Amino acid sequence: MASPLEQFVNNVRTISASGNFRELCEIISKSDEVLQRNGAHLNTVLETLDIQQHSLGVLAVLVAKFSLPQSSNDVDRSTMFQQICDFISNCNGEQVRFCPELYADLCHLLTDHLVELKQPIRGIEILKKAIRKIQLFDSQLTSIHADLCQLCLLSKCMKPALEFLDTDVTGIGTELGGNNDSKHFLLYYYYGGMIYAALKNYERALYFFEVVVTVPAMVVSHIMLEAYKKYILVSLILHGKILQMPKYTSQVVCRFLKPLSVAYHDLARSQHAAVKHRETFLRDKNMGLVNQVINSMYKKNIQRLTKTFLTLSLSDVASRVQLSGPVEAESYILNMIEEGEIYAMINQKDGMVVFLDSPEKYASPETLCVLEQQMAACTKLHQYIQEMDEQIQVNPQYVKKSVGCHDEDMPATSQNSKTTYTM
Amino acid sequence: MITNFDKLCGDLEKQELEAPNGIASPTTYAQLLAIYLYQNDLCNAKFLWKRIPQTISASNPELAAIWAVGQKLWKKDLPRTYQALAAYHWIDPVATIMRALEENVRERAFNLIGRSYSSISVDTVVSATGLSKEAVLQICRDRKWELSDDGVTVNPIPPTQPAPLHTSSEDQLFKLTDFVSFLEN
Repeated sequence: MASPLEQFVNNVRTISASGNFRELCEIISKSDEVLQRNGAHLNTVLETLDIQQHSLGVLAVLVAKFSLPQSSNDVDRSTMFQQICDFISNCNGEQVRFCPELYADLCHLLTDHLVELKQPIRGIEILKKAIRKIQLFDSQLTSIHADLCQLCLLSKCMKPALEFLDTDVTGIGTELGGNNDSKHFLLYYYYGGMIYAALKNYERALYFFEVVVTVPAMVVSHIMLEAYKKYILVSLILHGKILQMPKYTSQVVCRFLKPLSVAYHDLARSQHAAVKHRETFLRDKNMGLVNQVINSMYKKNIQRLTKTFLTLSLSDVASRVQLSGPVEAESYILNMIEEGEIYAMINQKDGMVVFLDSPEKYASPETLCVLEQQMAACTKLHQYIQEMDEQIQVNPQYVKKSVGCHDEDMPATSQNSKTTYTM
Repeated sequence: MITNFDKLCGDLEKQELEAPNGIASPTTYAQLLAIYLYQNDLCNAKFLWKRIPQTISASNPELAAIWAVGQKLWKKDLPRTYQALAAYHWIDPVATIMRALEENVRERAFNLIGRSYSSISVDTVVSATGLSKEAVLQICRDRKWELSDDGVTVNPIPPTQPAPLHTSSEDQLFKLTDFVSFLEN
């Protein structure tokens, strides 16, 4: 065994025993090259280390081993899945938390491997476990989240991702935040939006796409562009028009994304755009959503009728909404009643439909229950904001800056504190 | 019965995720697909059908038959749903789920008719519920839906809402205290 490698093993053993993991992290980050160069001996190294006691060491070796170019060791790929599973199930969570980047890298490698094998469904359980292990609390976002969503989409098995997507994020893992690449953050929300859209939870999908598009940016990423296109489509499905982007959207987004998604803006103006820009929609793989948009336009038109008329014959509905006949109109209305999108009574004998007002009187126990839940959510949010504010107030950088401004002139301070709120 | 299916659903989902090479047994797929339909979770049913390997879906007539029902449900084509349900001879464990599914669909159809029609022809009710005319008339009587004088239309009455959930006053007081203490601080 080469001597720098031997040294590495010794370091891992002694420092792990002494419990000084921060120092070990630094050594590991420097020994990347040594490990890569000694690809042939890495299996021997693994045998000398214990997953539970030397988690960080094993992690470094595994990452080095599987990031070697494919051609150099074909045999190892077959055991890769098993090895990574073993590691994730048995490693020491506290130890690996000292080096979340490396841990996330291992998960990215596993994801890529499974995507290549075309067996994405196998990774779902293990990535769920991996996320739970590294998270400090349930609502912490890690860069592994994006991998899980990707596997769920590819395997067409969306349900497992929902438990993560349904939890609103209140914290971000160190490997994802700070100055690191925002790719996995954007991907998580992009994939998440796609999963919600696939399951027809359009409200949530719209929110996820909005998060992608409103990430503060100096340049526009491709993920943002695709998310913006889907944002338009989902907005059309839900509201029948393109919702205004929030004020805090970066300027580059408005300037660059709009010209790049002309076809989608056309769709908002007329249905004929669906035929005219068919090529574009097909290339973007958005045809499914475009069809949903067209379908929802009939519904929106029927909804508009309820605002003007109290009663209407089914054939009038059909002609006004451009449906083929009273039978189709009846089935549309029936479906909409089932979904709770309109309130109406059909009289089949006379072929008439009576549009009703919402029967909701906002006086039922259910309303109270909803109100209570909303209030609880608001209280919780207030609490989070307060906590964040406290954290910012004791942040050395912030204190230094605000005190510095204080010396020069008073108004600057108040302005400064305002910006921290909007963060 | 319902909780039973929910638990089974979770177990089956787990079985699928933990299956070696990501491919579960045909019975697992069949039951899971049927349960998704029973829960009226058509999106998940559709994606499950799409992810079942072709070799399995092609060699299992039962799976194809379950999805035939799913397709009709997706299109909200109730008359053909009942036809599809009757067209295949279900074998346990799927048979139990399919029976529950059929009842579920019928119950939903009756409730929907009650909510959305002030008058409807008996024939439409028959095709929407997949029952015989006699059975429909019997249920109409049970639900106190009036049969018109012409004998071909009924006047449905909206189904009554389930009894509101009662919360204890202590619970409400607790929530109120929480709320006020939040406002005060």
